[in-house]
Amino acid sequence: MSGILAYALHYEGAFNKNSLGGVSEAARLAEQAGCVAHAVVIGDVSDELAATLGHYGVTKVFRAKDAPEGLAQPVVDVMAKVMDDNGHDYALFGGGLLGFEIGAGLAARLNAGVTMEVTQVNVVDGKLTAERPIHGDSSISTSSYKDRGIIIGRLNAFETAVPGESAAEVEDVTVELSEASQRLKMVTRGEQRGADVDIEGAKILVAGGRGLGKPEGFELCEALAEALGGAVAATRAVVDAGWYPYSTQIGQTGKTVSPKLYLAAGISGAIQHKVGFQSSENIVAINKDSNAPIFEYSDLGIVGDLNKILPKLTEAVKAKKG
Amino acid sequence: MSASHGGAPAPAQFPPPVDPQGEFIKHGLDPEDDLIEVGVAIVGGGTAGLSCANRLLQLLADDEELLESLGEVPVAVIEKAKTCGGHNLSGAVMRPGALQELFPDVTREDWRAEGFAFGAVCDEAVYLMPSATKAVKIPTPPPFKNHGNEVISVAAMARYQQRLAEEAGAYVLTETAATQLIVEDGAVVGVRSGDKGRGKDGQPLRNFEPGTDVKAKCTVLAEGCWGHLTGAAIREFGLAEGREPQVWELGVKEVWRVPKPLDRLIHTIGPWPLKLKAKYGQIGGTWLYPMKDSKTGDDLVSIGFVIDLEYADATTSAHDLLQQFKLHPLVREILAGGERVSWGAKALPAGGWWSMPKLTMPGALLVGDSAGMVDTVALKGVHHSVLSGKLAAEAIYASLKRGDAVASVEGYEAAVNDSSIGQELYEVRNTRQPFQKGFLRGGPLVNLMIMTKGRFPGGRRKWHRNDAKPMFIGDTKNGYPKPDGTYTFDKLSSVYITGNATRDDAPNHIRVRKRVPREVAETWAWMCPAGVYEIPDEAPSHGPVDVIVNYTNCVQCGAITAKGGRLTTPEGGDGPLYRNL
Repeated sequence: MSGILAYALHYEGAFNKNSLGGVSEAARLAEQAGCVAHAVVIGDVSDELAATLGHYGVTKVFRAKDAPEGLAQPVVDVMAKVMDDNGHDYALFGGGLLGFEIGAGLAARLNAGVTMEVTQVNVVDGKLTAERPIHGDSSISTSSYKDRGIIIGRLNAFETAVPGESAAEVEDVTVELSEASQRLKMVTRGEQRGADVDIEGAKILVAGGRGLGKPEGFELCEALAEALGGAVAATRAVVDAGWYPYSTQIGQTGKTVSPKLYLAAGISGAIQHKVGFQSSENIVAINKDSNAPIFEYSDLGIVGDLNKILPKLTEAVKAKKG
Repeated sequence: MSASHGGAPAPAQFPPPVDPQGEFIKHGLDPEDDLIEVGVAIVGGGTAGLSCANRLLQLLADDEELLESLGEVPVAVIEKAKTCGGHNLSGAVMRPGALQELFPDVTREDWRAEGFAFGAVCDEAVYLMPSATKAVKIPTPPPFKNHGNEVISVAAMARYQQRLAEEAGAYVLTETAATQLIVEDGAVVGVRSGDKGRGKDGQPLRNFEPGTDVKAKCTVLAEGCWGHLTGAAIREFGLAEGREPQVWELGVKEVWRVPKPLDRLIHTIGPWPLKLKAKYGQIGGTWLYPMKDSKTGDDLVSIGFVIDLEYADATTSAHDLLQQFKLHPLVREILAGGERVSWGAKALPAGGWWSMPKLTMPGALLVGDSAGMVDTVALKGVHHSVLSGKLAAEAIYASLKRGDAVASVEGYEAAVNDSSIGQELYEVRNTRQPFQKGFLRGGPLVNLMIMTKGRFPGGRRKWHRNDAKPMFIGDTKNGYPKPDGTYTFDKLSSVYITGNATRDDAPNHIRVRKRVPREVAETWAWMCPAGVYEIPDEAPSHGPVDVIVNYTNCVQCGAITAKGGRLTTPEGGDGPLYRNL
């Protein structure tokens, strides 16, 4: 096999965290399979910024300066041409809705196989196979590809490598955009559900559940999150009850997060919620019910009244930070 | 309405806010251009509905002229699950005859290779369970004899039958709920499919698609247990006049992959873990069936708990009773070292012969569980469902052949009564009713009836409506184990493995009364195997409670309809995706 091409999305001068995960994964797989890993960037990216993708292990970055970033069709045009010209067998995406859209279009364009919501990629006999959880994550389905393959990760499935020193070579490519691409124009760009916080990107999350007792209970979470420099998340139960916005919902039918610290306040820890945060590095739970399932997978559990504990914790954090 | 004084409250005193006739019956079809016209519309792609579709297509295959006269879509099957079988669940051990008769060229070996049958029953055992540690083997009562029957999965069988039906030319509309029965001039003329893409408050979202009228020469209601349209049809056409009320049971089932094959078919008939005292009103039993998956070579075990919904202790929970039952040494030995691979729950009609409604109305008929064709003495209904589908197809074919303006399918009822369905259900027509008086008081009479094949004491035994039973908050709950997450499970973990991921902003499809007595609220919360009903922490320990309805957990088992609420059809495609249940 001759190569893996990863798409790196950027916004306001920085690469998307999931894209960096995808780029890192491409480099890791290429090393295992003994082939090359390259990245592709679209639009206005400086030489310096593009070259930093080398820190994550890719050797070359293709840049299509004239194509608009953030829309799926132009990226399909660019990636299809880059893959055809350079003989890449696989395209890899870190995750997110744009990745799904580009990946689907690219698969149709190249007549390639496509697998979405992938949680793990393996090298088998020099070829890639993708694992995807199905049936509500109760089973794993494995895809292999007859010819070329498009692999789109689940959000946060691919770990971003520790950045190294090497810079990537940047090669500009000119791609004639298809008619469909030219009809599209970016009007505005913003968070999908009107969220003003980046739940998925936050390093610290303070999550509240029905154990908060009332909508005002979230004020305690907000105060602690502010003190810690994190964001506030919620369970489906409280979103359903209208206590907090849907954009903050974590779980099976909400967002999937993996912060460094997930502090669960008044959350029983049903599996439907657990699947949304289980890959967090540290999980701390506060619940008055010592039988709550959440304690079974917490690194630290506190049995007690969160109305007393949360304010004290907030004060302590503030005091420590000075 | 207040029942806090003057005796224990019964759920029937707090009926759900629903107007079945007004909401679920549509008078008149939309204009020609806005509707879909089919030959025969079958509501429900389960055992009975698909048997009907397949039999009909067999008959039409030899009658090209009639087939052509039915237009582009001679047979349509409307199924609310993601695929046929997605919402189907049964024990199940099936008498093979009806399916063999429907598909004479397909062998039992073929069934197993197709992955819906798991072997013939050789050995069997029935146990009494006096306590949490004791099991006493008793001689197998005649109705429990299963030698030669086949262990199957109805969820898998429906997928198989769906494939056959599609190959034969059926149009199977999955992810489509039938929400209204269309009546014109006193006859059923079709059904209306449900809207999709509505928000929480019913408002159309960006992906909104309105439902469509499906016009049919004949409509088959094959909706399973207490079908949404079946209930409306029974009222609209007075089909239950002179019959006993329907009564219900609730079954919760798990499938386990086990290291060593189970060597026999097991039924236990309690009393443990249920209470023997009559005031609890608890009658139930369990099963353990061996399943050899010939596709994967895996040894599987089907285990389940069934309880009559006639019970009086509000803390009765079929889900937790099954978890408790698994702690018995007899069960531990079978499941030890194994892993749970699936879970599901379903209510079933238990009234039998006297509760069966009239099966036909102008333009439509009832088959399978919609018609209440379950023998709860032998614990069987799959073969009746298959046969009723087949008989229905034959009656419909005859009507189409005659060219009836409004399909007249009355011959179907006589055919059912003359068939093994009628004979078997008649024999046990009075057998289960005495249990409504309790296991001990009813037991001897039940035995007498079984021994005399229903001839003695004869007559007609009445059923008591499940939702009329006064409820009390008892101590059944004290026996439930704390789930350990590997051998015993909580309700939400169980729902999770059904693959249920209903859209969070879908409208609520469950109707229950607000402000109900604590007894009724607890009944719902404990009964629901999917954790749909929740009592708020701040609810008073006496006095009215507003339950929280987590309707997106719902696996559409239907039990709520028997105990004072009402399950309506959610958006097509919602709910679980059962595979081997």
